[in-house]
Amino acid sequence: MAESIVIIINRGPYGTEEAFAGMREALALMVSGLVDRAVTLLVGEGTLNAVMSQKPEAISMPSNLAALSDLLDMDGEVFMVLEDLERIAPGTEVLEGVQPVNWSQAREIISSCQLVTTF
Amino acid sequence: MGKMLIQTRSGTMMNMDNNVVTKLARAALDRGHEVMVFGYGEGVTAIKDGQDPRRFPNVGKILQDYTQEGMLVTVCETCCYARGIKRGEEFPGSKIGSMTNDLSVFVSDADRMVTIAR
Repeated sequence: MAESIVIIINRGPYGTEEAFAGMREALALMVSGLVDRAVTLLVGEGTLNAVMSQKPEAISMPSNLAALSDLLDMDGEVFMVLEDLERIAPGTEVLEGVQPVNWSQAREIISSCQLVTTF
Repeated sequence: MGKMLIQTRSGTMMNMDNNVVTKLARAALDRGHEVMVFGYGEGVTAIKDGQDPRRFPNVGKILQDYTQEGMLVTVCETCCYARGIKRGEEFPGSKIGSMTNDLSVFVSDADRMVTIAR
């Protein structure tokens, strides 16, 4: 019986639907009330999902930023490995509420959850 | 015995991901474990009834056979509708369900989770 799951998102926004799908899965698990803890962890290019300046309307796609905001609106735990974002896009403004962590903390988050899935 | 959740997000053809799903499921069932399969994204194609891949393994038929042994196979409703797969087109024993009502139950029941995707 699992009470916790971490959804690791390492795909960037757009181009593939993976990151959006991961955030929607996290939201579904949170609202179900059946899983006590559903944590979202953005790593690698997945950290780009938190970038404030993304403009999905340019390609007529739903907003990954809005999907991420939905998790925060539900008081969801959303973490982002800051060193990964800094390596890809240094100094970029990210969505307020997304909690920056280092890889050591990310490993602790992963270890604290019973199940892991990746997008 | 344990309960394993396999989430597949790959389609049934053009790669071997869902063949891995069937092999994993078979191994777990043989050891007496309960298996739950949830199809998400392209993974929903696994439950389409009437698949006829000719010289390749028939993933749909294999999964259907395993449901006879108690394996649960459910896929995301929204993903099905997006791909034009309608209720009634799933093989008997499978279910077009939802992440909120079905995947969440699978997750809360599972001891282990395996994700198959590209």
